[in-house]
Amino acid sequence: MAGEDVVAGIDVGSHNVSAVLLSPTGILGYAILASAEEGERAAKRALAQACARVGHASVPTVVVATGCGRGSVRFAVRESSEVVCQARGAHWLFPQARTVLNLGAESSRAVRISPDGRAAAFATNDKCAAGSGRFLELMARVLEVPLEEMGDLALAADARAEVSSRCAVFAESEVISHIHRGLPKAHILAGIHVAVVDRIVEIAGRIGVEREVVVTGGLALNRALLAELESRLGVPLLIPPEPRIVGALGAALAAMASPK
Amino acid sequence: MVTSTSAKKHLKTTLLVPELRKKYYAQTLADSQAGKKVAWCSNNIPSEILEAMNITTVYLENYATVCASKRLSSAFCRAGERAGFSQDVCGYARILMGYILGGDDLPEAPYGGLAKPDFLIVNSYSCDSRMGWFTTMARTLDLPLYVLDSPYQPVGGCTDLDNVAYTESQLRGLIAFLEEQTGTKLDPARLRQRIELAAKANEIQVEIYEMRKHVPSPMSAGDAYTVVWPGMYLIGTKECDQFYEQLRAEVRERIASNVGIVPEEKFRLLWSGLPFWYNMALMNYFEEKGGVVAIENAFFRHLPGLPQQDEDPVRDMALRSTMRRGYAGSIGERTDLTVEIAREYSVDGVILSYNPSCRLFYILQPALKNALDRAGIPTLALECDMADERTYSEGQVKTRLDAFIERLLAR
Amino acid sequence: MEPSFDRYRERRHEEARAWKERTGGKVVGLFCCDVPEELIHAAGMLPVRLLGEHEDTSEVDIHFPVNVCPYPKACFDQALKGQYDYLDGLVVPNVCDMVRAMFGSWQINFSLPFLYFLEVPQKISSQGIDFFTVELGRFRGALEDFGGHPIADDTLRQAIRLFNADRELLRQLSALRVTAGLPASSVQDAVLSSMVLPKEQHLELMKEALAEAATAPPADGLPLFLSASMLDESDFVRLIEECGGHIVADDMPAGTRYFQADVDEDDPNQLRALARRYLEDIPCPRKMLPEAHLARLLDMLEASGARGTIIHNLRACDCHLYEYPYFKKELEARGLPVLFFRGEETATEREQQRADIEAFIEIIAG
Repeated sequence: MAGEDVVAGIDVGSHNVSAVLLSPTGILGYAILASAEEGERAAKRALAQACARVGHASVPTVVVATGCGRGSVRFAVRESSEVVCQARGAHWLFPQARTVLNLGAESSRAVRISPDGRAAAFATNDKCAAGSGRFLELMARVLEVPLEEMGDLALAADARAEVSSRCAVFAESEVISHIHRGLPKAHILAGIHVAVVDRIVEIAGRIGVEREVVVTGGLALNRALLAELESRLGVPLLIPPEPRIVGALGAALAAMASPK
Repeated sequence: MVTSTSAKKHLKTTLLVPELRKKYYAQTLADSQAGKKVAWCSNNIPSEILEAMNITTVYLENYATVCASKRLSSAFCRAGERAGFSQDVCGYARILMGYILGGDDLPEAPYGGLAKPDFLIVNSYSCDSRMGWFTTMARTLDLPLYVLDSPYQPVGGCTDLDNVAYTESQLRGLIAFLEEQTGTKLDPARLRQRIELAAKANEIQVEIYEMRKHVPSPMSAGDAYTVVWPGMYLIGTKECDQFYEQLRAEVRERIASNVGIVPEEKFRLLWSGLPFWYNMALMNYFEEKGGVVAIENAFFRHLPGLPQQDEDPVRDMALRSTMRRGYAGSIGERTDLTVEIAREYSVDGVILSYNPSCRLFYILQPALKNALDRAGIPTLALECDMADERTYSEGQVKTRLDAFIERLLAR
Repeated sequence: MEPSFDRYRERRHEEARAWKERTGGKVVGLFCCDVPEELIHAAGMLPVRLLGEHEDTSEVDIHFPVNVCPYPKACFDQALKGQYDYLDGLVVPNVCDMVRAMFGSWQINFSLPFLYFLEVPQKISSQGIDFFTVELGRFRGALEDFGGHPIADDTLRQAIRLFNADRELLRQLSALRVTAGLPASSVQDAVLSSMVLPKEQHLELMKEALAEAATAPPADGLPLFLSASMLDESDFVRLIEECGGHIVADDMPAGTRYFQADVDEDDPNQLRALARRYLEDIPCPRKMLPEAHLARLLDMLEASGARGTIIHNLRACDCHLYEYPYFKKELEARGLPVLFFRGEETATEREQQRADIEAFIEIIAG
């Protein structure tokens, strides 16, 4: 491989850091780590791990950073916003993509992609409402269910409890009420997923849903959520093989386009 | 999630209202078909003037409460929000905006829908929401809009003739607008007649409110929120006056026979603010524990109207409405009035209905609580929208009500 | 830039107290752009716009609930904390639900010697001008009673001229955003200081500022238009500047709405001239209908060369929240992207706002 042609994109999120190595022939490799440490160190580790995985000797010098912690990645040549990177990354993976729903740990966003692959408009989730991974985490704690099992349990439910989607605090107290009344966990979980989807549908509605629709971020691994979302939007959802690296991919594409 | 909706009616006269309401809406549709002009109005627009010009008045807030009571608020609100209206704004407005802006997945509108309007009329001085809502509708439906303004007068009635002059000029402006829109002239004799009928209805309602001080309560909020309807939407008609005469007679009879709402009154409540229109059965919730919502402050009437002030009916309306405001203005006035009502109606506790989207009622809830605390009257705050049922959590509300009832019974 | 206008906002309470000491005069607080400050000034008093701080709301939460406009609530909070103890009076105009509530709440909780409710019409019409002219006459009378001396016509004339002069200089300063890349945060700080300082003093500061602004290095951010319901400090504008944006024109109370229009000095009926300016010429959505308001906004926007609009409406501001879907649609139809914030004016929002503003700018810059 020609080392000079390899660039990298790094997405420093609140929960995860991901790094993508990109060459003119495509994605070389990537790494996803839980980010328990300071942004720049985590970014370096993720990049090093991605390189190690594919046996790439030298760390690329042209790196673009995205994600909420992008400001701390001082070795990046520039920063790019998550909105723009999600659009770029999703479009590269699916050239027909016109809407990307990025469902992350802290926040969710809906982005309209123009036919030339650029972000055109976006809407982000209101922080205090349901709709992010953090909300699901909170509920997992309340219900004492491992986060990874939530989706499958919810899928198996044959009924759903009502859970508010407007306010996470309100929803939490509703869920506690349901628990006290003895409702089955699966039903409550199903209701929680509906609440999350309600919020996603709402932000998607702000920019208008246009096919094809790509779903990215950690929540794109949650089958219950995807099933509900697909049913509510009434359109098929395209899921990347690894939905958590789309932001880093978008950053890497920006790095590729950077003047040398 | 709401499990019940209508209040149980204890009075026979109350049972007449649903028919009256159905007939009213049906009439507006028939009027429209027959070529009569239809005005969509906000609550304080004087229908006496419109009716005296043979114009059909449709009040929108009521339709929103009907949608809410028929459990349609979620769908309509969602549609209104999809059109860009924040969840912060009035639940009634979102429902109506949802209804107008449509969408394919909307439920069937109650009573066959609203009669198509020819123009819109809004009063600017009650609340901010109305202006935003009506100007949006006017633009969306591409219809003329008249804004009726009036001095705010935070400390109540005012005898200042400059205030009267402004009110009068606005009423005359309304009449001029209507004459232009319809080609008909106002009939002053008809207006005078409707004004006097309306004054009579007000008088009777004031009497009934006074009678409700009686222990045991002859009529509770469960009936009150329904029987207030003709006074708001059929005002100025003989039918309206007859309804209240009948209601007064029934209340008198109940007092004479000492018939209450519950066999033994254990506690009396005041419901402050708007009710939750999608769950009026809450008003009866207390009855199985011996409680009664003896009085509500939302549409309270205690001020008798003024006698005729002027020969000219329009000037008369301006004088009477300026000199005696139908609603209390400033926070101090409103909190004082509520504390007074609580005392005079021998109330043991107050339910504070915090409707986050109804700024007018919502803003003063903490001040009300503070005033009631100082007066030593227990309160319970329930934060739910008056029309948008998605804000209502049955389990939570009932738990809190139960705890409040226990507290009152223990005293 | 010198003078650093922002420090006047910061030190407004000390400045007002010092003014009282020096002159023995009365300080009259007020809300909103609807109150003709010229009359207060002509009465020999100091008009000061109430401004809030972003502090913990546990004290004021006892008096007001959560879902209300945070701006008047924050002002009330400052009063509860004793920050406004030097006020001798307060004028509350008939504007929106929450500002109107200030009248009753102030009445209950404080005992000001002068608390005046100004009956501003809530509709723009010639009848409204007539009524407002009368009301301003009553207001003048009340100020005369409170001050203990009449307000001479000539004194009022001078006040109007003075305020017009200050507004003219603010207009000149704000024009430099377009012609010389002057940061909008400087302009907003200049406006905020005008709202709290004696006008003569502010006029002198403005002359200094204009002289210096001519030599200041230009900002080079993406030109943007800002429409806000009420930003009572310049933090949000600074945030936009940090993200690479440059506000070239605005529609907001602590901005263009404060200085755009003058009082007609040629009208022999001064009260009517004041009534006209304060009722007709301020694009406050509580009175000005959306179509008229949008027309003004578009004029300013198109003249400024802005490439996008940021709309910041405080939560529960019905007046602005209802306009928003219409404005958004019309702006986007003209190819002007819109970024909307429903603000709480709390510090925790800043990070999300920063991310959104950066994304917005990156998208437009292409």
